Amino acid sequence: MAGGGGGGDGEPEFQVAPMIDVLLVLLIFFMSITSAQVLKVDKNIKLPVAVHGVKRDDKAAAGLINISWDASTGQAKYKLDDRELDINDKDGISKELAARKGTNEKFRLLIRADRQCQAKFISKALEWGAEAGIDNIAFSGLNRDE
Amino acid sequence: MRLAPQEIPSDAGFQIAPMIDVVFVIMLFFMVMAGAVKVEHELKTTLPGNAETAKETDMPDEVTIGVSESGQITINEDPVGQPQDRELEGLFNEMTKMAQAAKQSKTKLLITVQAEEAARYERVINVLDILAKADISNITFSVAEPE
Repeated sequence: MAGGGGGGDGEPEFQVAPMIDVLLVLLIFFMSITSAQVLKVDKNIKLPVAVHGVKRDDKAAAGLINISWDASTGQAKYKLDDRELDINDKDGISKELAARKGTNEKFRLLIRADRQCQAKFISKALEWGAEAGIDNIAFSGLNRDE
Repeated sequence: MRLAPQEIPSDAGFQIAPMIDVVFVIMLFFMVMAGAVKVEHELKTTLPGNAETAKETDMPDEVTIGVSESGQITINEDPVGQPQDRELEGLFNEMTKMAQAAKQSKTKLLITVQAEEAARYERVINVLDILAKADISNITFSVAEPE
């Protein structure tokens, strides 16, 4: 049984409808991969490059500590999510982290520090995590340089 | 002088050409953005500590990688590479060898990254990134107390 085969005579016409279908599919594809990866990082923090790290798992519970670096004073500023932390209130920070952790053994402390920050300031955040009983630590970096 | 009102055709219809133009422009925008997108990666470590276990455990091969203030990397206090070297080929080769040796002898390789207090975070991440490249996951991080 022969198929449709078309008219046979002359050039086949350019079909607009399938082209629009393909275009829309491509558009949706690029929209989804772009918008899903929008980075929400404190603008004061310039993250280092970690090409071989694993992609951040947004679904896993984590306490996010942002550490920005002030080069003029040589001091770091800490934020738990978006809230600034008072570094003298060690107990308060640890208690808050412990409350967030609860009974979740997989809870991790995600450190997002400026690339110029000194290790002793990172250590302070790790101490808070240790006080709260969190021993899973993840350090944040970018897949590519700016 | 008054102009006669223009007639609007009652069956203007849906114009496909401008729609395709717009879709093309939007798609180009997203294609360009997709290439420049920055994704957050994470490098996992644990805190050093004592684990209490009821059963006897095998002692792992412990290696200490030092990160100095100048950026010099050391493996068990032996310097590796240059302080400004970001690729850290020497460290990667050494770590790959150790990981393979540990796999063959069926022992665990435990890496402790010990940074000096004034070492830069970027340098620490360089080292952790190389360890991730060498497929080593058993890593602890600590900051050395000043002597």
